[in-house]
Amino acid sequence: MTVARQVLQAVARAAAGARRVRASQPGGALAPPAARATGLAGVAAVLVAFGFLLGASSLLTLEEAVGLALFAVATNLLVGYAGLVSFGQAAFYGLGAYTVALSWQHYNWPFWLTFTLAPVLGGAAAFLVGLVALRARFLYFALLTLAFSQLFYEIAENQYHFTSGANGVFGPMVPSALAQPRAGYFFVLAVVAACLAILWKVTASSFGLTLRAIRENRARAEALGINVFRQELIAFVISGVFCSLAGTLFVVYSQSAYPELLDWQQSGYAVFMVVIGGMFTFLGPALGAVIYTVGQQFLISRTADWQLILGAVLLLIVLFRPDGLAGLADSAARWLAQRVPAVMRRGAPGSKAPPRVAPVASASEGEPQHAARVPGDERE
Amino acid sequence: MRHARILSAMAAASLIAGVAACGSSGPSPSAGRGPVTIGESTTLSGAIAELGQSGLQGVQLAVADINAHGGLLGHKVKVVSADDAATPATGASNVRSMILNDHAVAIFGPVSSAVAAAEEPLAAEYKVPIFFHTSNDINLMGKGFTKYAFQVVPNTVMESRAAADYLAKQSGGKPITIATFAPAYSFGYDTVSGFLTALKDLHVHYKLVAQEFPPLEAPNISAYLSKIVTARPQYLFNAQFGGDLVTFTKQAAGYGLFAKTKVIAMYDSPVLEALGSSAPASAIGFDRAPFWAIPGLGAFNREFHARYGAWPSEWAILAYTAVQTWAYGVKRAHSFGGDAVSAALAGATVPTIRGDITIRACDHQAEIPEYVGVVASKPDPSYGEILWDPSSLFAAPFATIDLSCAQVEALRG
Amino acid sequence: MMPTAIIDTVGVLSTAGALFIVSAGLTLVFGAMRLINIAHGSFYMYGAFLLTTIAGAGTGLRFWLAVVAATIVVALIGAAVELVIMRRVYDSEHLTQLIATFGLFLIFADLALHFWGDNSRTANPPAAFAGQVAIGGAVFPAYDLVVIAAAVAVGLGLWVLLQRSGLGWRIRAAVEDPETLQAGGTNLPLLRTGMFTMGALLAGLSGAIVAPQVAVAPGMDSSIVVAAFIVAIIGGLGSVPGAALGALIIGAAETIGTIVAPTWASSFIYLAMIAVLVARPSGLLGIPERRQ
Repeated sequence: MTVARQVLQAVARAAAGARRVRASQPGGALAPPAARATGLAGVAAVLVAFGFLLGASSLLTLEEAVGLALFAVATNLLVGYAGLVSFGQAAFYGLGAYTVALSWQHYNWPFWLTFTLAPVLGGAAAFLVGLVALRARFLYFALLTLAFSQLFYEIAENQYHFTSGANGVFGPMVPSALAQPRAGYFFVLAVVAACLAILWKVTASSFGLTLRAIRENRARAEALGINVFRQELIAFVISGVFCSLAGTLFVVYSQSAYPELLDWQQSGYAVFMVVIGGMFTFLGPALGAVIYTVGQQFLISRTADWQLILGAVLLLIVLFRPDGLAGLADSAARWLAQRVPAVMRRGAPGSKAPPRVAPVASASEGEPQHAARVPGDERE
Repeated sequence: MRHARILSAMAAASLIAGVAACGSSGPSPSAGRGPVTIGESTTLSGAIAELGQSGLQGVQLAVADINAHGGLLGHKVKVVSADDAATPATGASNVRSMILNDHAVAIFGPVSSAVAAAEEPLAAEYKVPIFFHTSNDINLMGKGFTKYAFQVVPNTVMESRAAADYLAKQSGGKPITIATFAPAYSFGYDTVSGFLTALKDLHVHYKLVAQEFPPLEAPNISAYLSKIVTARPQYLFNAQFGGDLVTFTKQAAGYGLFAKTKVIAMYDSPVLEALGSSAPASAIGFDRAPFWAIPGLGAFNREFHARYGAWPSEWAILAYTAVQTWAYGVKRAHSFGGDAVSAALAGATVPTIRGDITIRACDHQAEIPEYVGVVASKPDPSYGEILWDPSSLFAAPFATIDLSCAQVEALRG
Repeated sequence: MMPTAIIDTVGVLSTAGALFIVSAGLTLVFGAMRLINIAHGSFYMYGAFLLTTIAGAGTGLRFWLAVVAATIVVALIGAAVELVIMRRVYDSEHLTQLIATFGLFLIFADLALHFWGDNSRTANPPAAFAGQVAIGGAVFPAYDLVVIAAAVAVGLGLWVLLQRSGLGWRIRAAVEDPETLQAGGTNLPLLRTGMFTMGALLAGLSGAIVAPQVAVAPGMDSSIVVAAFIVAIIGGLGSVPGAALGALIIGAAETIGTIVAPTWASSFIYLAMIAVLVARPSGLLGIPERRQ
């Protein structure tokens, strides 16, 4: 279980290492930390204010979106940072939800116990799946993770005496205080904020740099003595831990678990959120999650043709904004920067070096900047 | 029909609306003489959309008829609808949004019992009555019962017991061989075990020769069919429905199954219409509300046909009566309030298009029969489609097929 | 026991036949463009819907003409999709391409609801194959023979096309060395349009062929795309013989699974997929990718 220890070490080192690594970066074109911190504080303040201002319905939509934001960012640790496109993260998301639901149904275990147990189980499952799936590369890695996710789905669907099958598990499985929209929202928000902070530290640590180095040039990384398989396995386990935790937040939001949480479409949604929001930024996937959730909710309650509109939006994004909406924000910032040279000197918010071509040496902070290796990308 | 109100979690406007909405413990009917809203959240896309779309038509027609007669308590009624994509979380958030944003005073829906299970506690939380007209899991009125929930469709127990009753009469006390065929998910397992339990209760001497559970929406079920064909049962109880039952019938006919085995399945009007001339004559069908078999539906059938160009499915009829049930509760209570309407309906006898229906007080189950009959070989002269042989029609009475109140209490544990 | 074996064998062959035709299209498109086309399921569904519309209640010549017409219409839709959308994303990330095809999948599903409504439809099998065939005490649907024959014809046709006409090496070259291929006078855009159209054609044909055996209804797009995907992966993405082998394995695995352990039958398929990918990452008959 050396990997388990290393996962913990990676997380622990992250806190200490992040600062040093950042300091050693040759100046990227990122916003100064102060501006960035102000921006983040602003977003946080707005999210907290929403908790007091929004009605229950909008608040619960936002609660779902915030929980999914963690799912999307944890998925992007693999997709964007490590260049490992996983179509199986729903396996861990669903596992987290089912851990809470089934422990409640069969053993009446308290939520706080299962809430802490779920990420451990998620990490353990990710370790086992990763041992197998990471032997394959590129497209075949994506397909293996998809197969594992479907396997989990079939088990939940067919082992009906234990899982209640397609009907899923419903009931008061979280403390009644958390079932209240406002308390639930603040709980989810706090957990997600803490998790994102940890994930940010992880991506900004030397471990995060190593991941990007592997993604950029696997052969060189191996030549440098990096145990590529082990590093990728650690990333896979960390992602599994946080995906599973996001799954428990789904239970806080919905008080239920059912097989669709585990299937390939759920994994696909995480990847869409990543792409919509932009895989080359840390918080892009979170933005994607919010846009996807709020947008889908809005469409479903307004039109019977929501599939048509959602499909058209996805097409438009990939045809015209393949780098996602965060990329759009970037372009806007750059456009602004050209118009307002003075602003440029200080660095436009969120802008960074021209994406996708920056060598590893100048990769700054936690932002992945090169194209992720994606299914079928074995031409190079 | 749908609100033009712009909802965006980020928009300041909804902040204000949200502030106004939070803190209110339940929906308030719109002020003055404006319209009141009801919500239909059901499955409108994917493989089971047929059931949901049909139910939505029933709800819309019922509301149009109410409005044509002056509305309810002086208010016009309007319907908001949303697709739950057969996903519990989507159904739940639809219901929440309908109650909080659209101020819906009653909820109707869904197709899937899993979605219904997610919506039932939510409706109770906001004290809004919810009417299940398609999903029929017995547990919705058992373990999951709330006083705001009503089931106006024969439940899973009633359905399998009606089929078992019919089979018991057919077998006439002689030993028989049977096989079962059901979709591999909770509904299928529950219905089959309910059917077998009912056969035991009726002291039918049967031998179970095969049990198959093919996956939902499987395009080819020959692997499962060949086992049934070689087991040669006298009777086959099939719990599939809709498209899966159509696929079963087409492929089973290819094996000549219907010549040797009497199939008992949900041969309702949409399935028979889809099958057309390949409908299996002399198979036994059961249907929750066959339009051609319920006395007194003639005028409604014609109205529905004039509006939608097709005869009403059971899903449309059940949805229509669900709205009538709610409307009766409102009139009786002189209020749109959930507590008042729920209290007014418990134990009430409601006049509907299909005659008077009693809502049983102990579990809010509508006391309606389940219908059984034999698929005809020729198109029905009145309706131009293959339906059931009129002489074979049997309405299994509610009192004999549903659980007693004591048994329902026991289910709740 | 013998009749059961015959019934099961014919059942496996007809299941595998329909799966092979649709998976061959998926695998060809992947082989030529490294594109995983989720909208392939939509083409299959449209083939089935179009057949029910064109054939109506016809069971004679009209049925066969309807199969041809439905297949051609789907192929034309495929060509249009390639010309208008897909060729704009060939240079994008593969993930981007995947999302483009998922967007198309959603759009096609919604449009199908508008064209054909949400009621199940069926087609009648052609009169000549409407009954049963009895061999050695076993009885099976005569129409199964149509499906098996169509699969064999498609297999032979693709073999001739790929091996004998030189199209096979052009397709490989289109992925491995497109510049040289173009320098050699091959019209690469035309080749790609052609292969995408061919993929759509096979999906449409498969949908039209199975229409008399199934309920033609919304949702058949998503169930087939997962099945076709598994078949193509087990056989080796890009390999047509692999698709045939994969289809046979899945057909047999389902039959055996229902006998041995019914509640685990569907899990078996994914376990098989995992086992194959671990042992032979490029599938049973796939050609291993060149590494950089």
